Amino acid sequence: MNLITLIKIGWRNIWRNKKRSVVVILSIILGLYGGLIIVSLMTTLNHQRMDTAINTYLADIQIHNKNYSNEYSIIDTIPNVQDLEEILKNDSRVKAFSKRAVINGMLSNSTGSYGVNVLGIHPDNEIKVTKVYSKMVEGEYFVSKRPNTMIVGKKLADKLNLKIRSKVVIAFQDTNGDITSLLYRIEGIFRSGNSMFDDYNVFVKNNSIFSNLPDLNGYHEIPILTTHNDITKSLKFDLQQINDSIDVKSWDDIAVELAYANKMMSSFLYIFMLIVLSGLSFGIINTMLMAVLERKKEIGMLMSIGMTKIYIFLMICFETVFLSLVSIPFALLITYFTVDYFSVVGIDLSVVASGLENFGVGSMFYLKLPSEYYINLSMLVIFISFISSIFPAIRALKINPAEATKSI
Amino acid sequence: MIVIEKLKRIYNQGGLEVNAVNNIDLKISDGEFTAVVGPSGSGKTTLLNCIGGLDNPTSGKVIIDNEVISSYSSDEMIKFRLNNIGFVFQAYNLIPVLTAKENIEMIMLMQGYNKQDMDVRSRELLNEVGMGKMGERRPSQLSGGQQQRVAVARALASKPKFILADEPTANLDSKSTAKLLDIMSRLNKQENITFVFSTHDQRVIDRARRVITIEDGKILKDIKK
Repeated sequence: MNLITLIKIGWRNIWRNKKRSVVVILSIILGLYGGLIIVSLMTTLNHQRMDTAINTYLADIQIHNKNYSNEYSIIDTIPNVQDLEEILKNDSRVKAFSKRAVINGMLSNSTGSYGVNVLGIHPDNEIKVTKVYSKMVEGEYFVSKRPNTMIVGKKLADKLNLKIRSKVVIAFQDTNGDITSLLYRIEGIFRSGNSMFDDYNVFVKNNSIFSNLPDLNGYHEIPILTTHNDITKSLKFDLQQINDSIDVKSWDDIAVELAYANKMMSSFLYIFMLIVLSGLSFGIINTMLMAVLERKKEIGMLMSIGMTKIYIFLMICFETVFLSLVSIPFALLITYFTVDYFSVVGIDLSVVASGLENFGVGSMFYLKLPSEYYINLSMLVIFISFISSIFPAIRALKINPAEATKSI
Repeated sequence: MIVIEKLKRIYNQGGLEVNAVNNIDLKISDGEFTAVVGPSGSGKTTLLNCIGGLDNPTSGKVIIDNEVISSYSSDEMIKFRLNNIGFVFQAYNLIPVLTAKENIEMIMLMQGYNKQDMDVRSRELLNEVGMGKMGERRPSQLSGGQQQRVAVARALASKPKFILADEPTANLDSKSTAKLLDIMSRLNKQENITFVFSTHDQRVIDRARRVITIEDGKILKDIKK
């Protein structure tokens, strides 16, 4: 007996009761499709959260003074910035970079005070690295020629009742350890899609900091955008070799919670799919049990004429697995087209925008689903089908050929 | 040769013991064309099931060509059935998703025939049972008589030592019955294949050369014509 015959019988058997098979196939298609779309939504949510963070403030890599990462002190500027700049300009893996003077201070106006992270930037360079300029909801992104203008997040603006042209004061410890205050005027309000970022970070021109703090003669942070995600690790490694006194970190080193969420999400999604497909397996088991009981006589006959138990077992297994093999391409195709369509058009979730912003993502979802999920989840469906076939196959083996054929 | 020694098969039905086969001794020689007859519940099917290794006797022995098959394990019995016994069922029991030819080839596949030999033999067998032109039809496209002829061809495919047929004509009209009996009778005579039927059908009984009558699990009469 060869496997091809068993495969042929298994394949033809699934079309004996077309209606029943179609119902099972449809349920597998819908189960897998639904699961993949949920996986896609979750993956998109996670990716958009990472993208928002990377595009808004993290960039792919950041360079700091080694000591800065420990105490965030204003005096811990990056040594030999010019040399670093030269290296970055000449590295083909670097798409763009910027330089930031970062100060932790207290932002105050007549409404109240709030602790903020002041990012002193050069606007023309910063727009090459991060996209805050494209997230403006009010005012402009450093168009004014005034040196002391500020861009704040929407959440902070709402908290302190800040409007365009509102005046605010930032108080912070200067390089000598004295408290210094700088006056700024609000030029723009942004909404990054991450309300936590909007709540805590403000942008100013770095000239406004340097002109008021003559003793500060360096930068605290160099955000770097790479040409491709895959080269981030290698670039980080190479940059770290340049100088021991700098600390080079990739985005997942800085935002550990994002990287962890990414890894955790992947495991969670497989567990989720396993649960969805396990539910589906009961439908498959039920259908195959019906098929076995319906064909009791035929299976009894096969046993009578000498078909071994292993072949009976395999015949039922093949049949069950075929149900999933028929379903999988359809499920994958409709998933692919759905994801493809919504990757361009997007899904507008503005009804839950505030909740999503708290989570660090915008309200438009542009679906994406990495190809590994198509492959792995298809394998999972085949595996679940095989597992589902075991019980009906065992039932088939228990058939008494003499009773099943009612006579010999 | 089939030898049955003090064969007993006792069933337990709802706490009651039923002697389906009660101490039967029997010898069936090679090339016989034997009908086992008797009323319903007389034990003829149980007797054939024990001969075919589909049922285990409570006591006694079934010996086929000097091998005590009643002591075989389940796996040994499956192998024995595959290579030595052909079965013809009342309800034909062809696999509906396979063609007539594929149904015949199925048993040869289990025996490990190569494709070419299988093709030649299945065509021969189809011709022998008068179904040469219908090999590509599925069972649903054949009449009852035609299906039973395919079933006979399938039973012959493994080149068995004997064929056990349970009420093979019960579902057939008289014309199909006559044709089927002609085929089986010819195969019996030409190829010396042993046929053992269980039947109620007078037409089969008339054609049989030995008629064993069973009642209450015992042989009542054993007439050789």
